Amino acid sequence: MSAVLFILAKFLLIMAAGVIAGILGSLTGLGGATVLVPLLSLFFSVPIIYATGASLISTIATSAGSASAYTKKKIANVKIGIGLEMATTAGAIVGSLTAVYVYAHNFSWTIYVIFGVVLLTSLIPTIHRGKYEEPPHRQADWWTKVFQLQGSYYDEKLKKNVSYTGVRWWLAELIMFFAGIISGLLGIGSGALKVLGMDWAMNLPMKVTTTTSNFMIGITAATGSTIYWYEGYIQIFIAAATAIGVLIGSYLGAKILVRITNKDIRWLFFAILSFLGIEMLLKGLYLGKYIVYGPTTEIYISSVSAVLMIVGLYLHQKRGDIIGKTV
Amino acid sequence: MEKQYDIDTITSHILKAGVLTSLLFIITGIALLFINGQGDHYTLSQIANFNSTFDSKFIPLVGIIPGILALDGVYYITMGLWILIFTPITVVFTALYSFVSNRNPSYVVMSIIVLFNLFFAMIVVPRLLI
Repeated sequence: MSAVLFILAKFLLIMAAGVIAGILGSLTGLGGATVLVPLLSLFFSVPIIYATGASLISTIATSAGSASAYTKKKIANVKIGIGLEMATTAGAIVGSLTAVYVYAHNFSWTIYVIFGVVLLTSLIPTIHRGKYEEPPHRQADWWTKVFQLQGSYYDEKLKKNVSYTGVRWWLAELIMFFAGIISGLLGIGSGALKVLGMDWAMNLPMKVTTTTSNFMIGITAATGSTIYWYEGYIQIFIAAATAIGVLIGSYLGAKILVRITNKDIRWLFFAILSFLGIEMLLKGLYLGKYIVYGPTTEIYISSVSAVLMIVGLYLHQKRGDIIGKTV
Repeated sequence: MEKQYDIDTITSHILKAGVLTSLLFIITGIALLFINGQGDHYTLSQIANFNSTFDSKFIPLVGIIPGILALDGVYYITMGLWILIFTPITVVFTALYSFVSNRNPSYVVMSIIVLFNLFFAMIVVPRLLI
């Protein structure tokens, strides 16, 4: 009996990790999986292979859960999403096959390193995101006409219809291909790259970008998941717990996000994420035998660098705001 | 425009229904695992052990229907996870349907390419890897 209770506790604990990941993921806008993989592999000693498998599955759950709300409000652009999915699904196949190669040749330390780097670099565009609601106007190009990249949505905050013109479709496709590779390789949604593709390359409004990316993530993750399943990267006990946990977490996160009035509190979450990113990077280098020091030193180094990084970005952001106000 | 609205609403319903059905299967499966103390001839502690070899490679998908009839928790979870995987795929199908009915040939082709990639990953890639 006590053994069963122990297993139940284990299940609930992983589910709790999923809830935390879901909350942090939606508060920072990076998605639950990006937080889940480090949590499971660093603190729950789940093998990285199962951690990525479980988070890929959870990514589909959160994507479908939140996209169901957005598509109904007609903010997400299903057409643009499907067009870009050509590249992400192809990328996801390449990425998952790369993962298969990496695990088969015992290079799993590289997954930690790449994960750390991707997590840290996606923090920067995420922090700078959302300063404006509408992008600067751009002239429609050849791609706009051919791929019908114009659209509009009703903005509840601005209380008006916002129409937009998507440009540079080819560039977005290219970025999406890489987003797909990262998703298949690391078991995450790689929403940060998807947002970069639509916001920066295609010049779409932030609301359209984030909601469309949310809906796309599920399709990309489904592609990788099937390959993960046949390769045995999905441990159903873990995947079941995290799918439920992350779904609850991102639901709670969305509720909390609306109530947070002090924007500065988000920096605390960014600090936690950068700590996880640096930890993953160091653990990878440690497993690859590039660095040798104890876990205490590792946590110390991670904490200090995480704080430095976030303080630096915070000051940079504040300075940017002041300059922006005076101009 | 009216057509577009329908597709968005249908998409939203499919996503919601997919997630809920999948959750129902997963939760039932977990409950069954704990009640039966085992699943698919593995003990509960083997299934819950991260370092055991029990992973998705050892769960044949053809076993889903018999497993569900036998009230085997492992196959309920498997069913739930596969419903989850198929949920976004059905969205691509509804999008394809809307592009066909709106006579939008370039997007018909693009949705077919996306579906091709999805089924390539599902059917062709696993056979290449064996």
